[in-house]
Amino acid sequence: MKELRLAKKIIKTLVKDRIQYPGRLLADTLTTSGRCVVLLLLYYYVFNLKGGLINNTTFIVAAWSIFFYFAFMNLNLRNIARLIMADVQSGNIEVLLNKPISYLLYRSWWQIGAGLYSFLVVTLLGSVALILIIGIPSTMTIALFLPTVFLTFLMAVVLSLLIYIIVGLLSFWIIDINPVFWLIDKMVMILGGSYLPVALFPNFLYQISIYSPFGASQFITHVVYESWQMNWYWLILVQIFWIIVLGLAVYFMFRSVKKKVSINGG
Amino acid sequence: MNKEIKFAMYAIKKNIQNGAELRGSFLINIFGMVINNVAYIFLWVYFIKSVGVVGGWTAADIIGLQAFVAIGYGFVFSTMMGIRKIPEYINSGSFDRFILSPKNLLIRIATASFNASAIGDLIFGLICFAVYIILISANFYQFLMMLVLVVLATIANLAISIIVGASSFFFMDPEAITKGFFDLFFAPSLFHGGAFQGALRFVFTFIIPSLVIGTLPVEAVRNMSLGKLALVAILAFVWFFIALRFFRYAVKKYESSNFMTFGSQ
Repeated sequence: MKELRLAKKIIKTLVKDRIQYPGRLLADTLTTSGRCVVLLLLYYYVFNLKGGLINNTTFIVAAWSIFFYFAFMNLNLRNIARLIMADVQSGNIEVLLNKPISYLLYRSWWQIGAGLYSFLVVTLLGSVALILIIGIPSTMTIALFLPTVFLTFLMAVVLSLLIYIIVGLLSFWIIDINPVFWLIDKMVMILGGSYLPVALFPNFLYQISIYSPFGASQFITHVVYESWQMNWYWLILVQIFWIIVLGLAVYFMFRSVKKKVSINGG
Repeated sequence: MNKEIKFAMYAIKKNIQNGAELRGSFLINIFGMVINNVAYIFLWVYFIKSVGVVGGWTAADIIGLQAFVAIGYGFVFSTMMGIRKIPEYINSGSFDRFILSPKNLLIRIATASFNASAIGDLIFGLICFAVYIILISANFYQFLMMLVLVVLATIANLAISIIVGASSFFFMDPEAITKGFFDLFFAPSLFHGGAFQGALRFVFTFIIPSLVIGTLPVEAVRNMSLGKLALVAILAFVWFFIALRFFRYAVKKYESSNFMTFGSQ
């Protein structure tokens, strides 16, 4: 209960902070426009050029898949790795570890709170714009869609946090985690179906995307495809599997990290 | 002017020496960035495999695109990272120390910081440059064009970076906003150039000149088009001129934050 109260407080404070600084919302909107909107316009042209169908996928389906990826990116969960690194580099970690709260949970709630406002606004505006401009595919109108989207979204949030927490915890050993961060980030970008929707993947890449934690953390991009109706439970099981594996990895890493830290006080 | 250039060279040299002191981190950053950039080639090459050739662009052109963009970006931010940090300097109040410096303000700010990973971009760009020459079997004429275009693309990259950095003087929350502006300019420059057609091409050539730093140079080399070379040259110099004027105008908006940071980093 105490943990939930803390989470609520952190998220509420950060959402208020983001509302207070509309510049950050503008920045996130510009970033989404710079990547997602331009990409959608490019794909619109390419699909028209190829007669409206590529790999049995229509533009409308590819567009929603790409949009879900960029909307999810607005949560900016990956930044948790850099926050942990900053705590380690600045020495702030010793203060936070001494507090009677779980450090990793605190950082996770912080990250969710920091991205929530932009995520909600950009997703809402983007969805309305997409519905008005290109409409929605039939796969998004079935009863199964909303509950499974919600489920896979929650799993994706947890899995993304775990992946980037592991990257962040590496800063206890290598101090500067940026190169590892870039590598993992690009794996997520490629296998998540960002610039190239998963429907256009060659078979081997599709298999890697399904069975790797990087692809699994972005299954939200799969929800618009016809195949989702058949194998959504399987994909969510894959997410649960990776959450357990990476959760254990985080647990053991953090246990060893706590032994490594020498708190000098002062 | 000579004195200013000498100062800039000295500052860049010291920045690199400073960065290289932490040898392990320095090298990991450089090679990490090289590997990171390969992702874009991977993505767009698979795009071509799935979608087919669009706008005459082949996998070789994607490598050429990465070469132009990465060399420009790598050169600008390995030597003049201070431009990206203008919002941070304004926010922290440490911009005061630049204004008080007797050196040229823009050169002083630009060379105040260094980014090791941008050297990785530069190396990656040079590798792509060499691979591109081999893949298109470039003749001497094309090779010369590439050299000229790399310089022009770098100037355009620098110009937009200055404009984005200088826009910090107009906002309350400059770090977040300039990051958004920079993304808006830079992200499309890495996209498959052949898919930019019609109004989209016009916007990203003349209004947000993302295509000037990569797509147009690749097309100029591939088609040996002097017209496109001239267009890139004109746009690069026009944007550079605008950038210098805009920077001078924007600096006048600065009000000291009165933080006690004189002399600090």
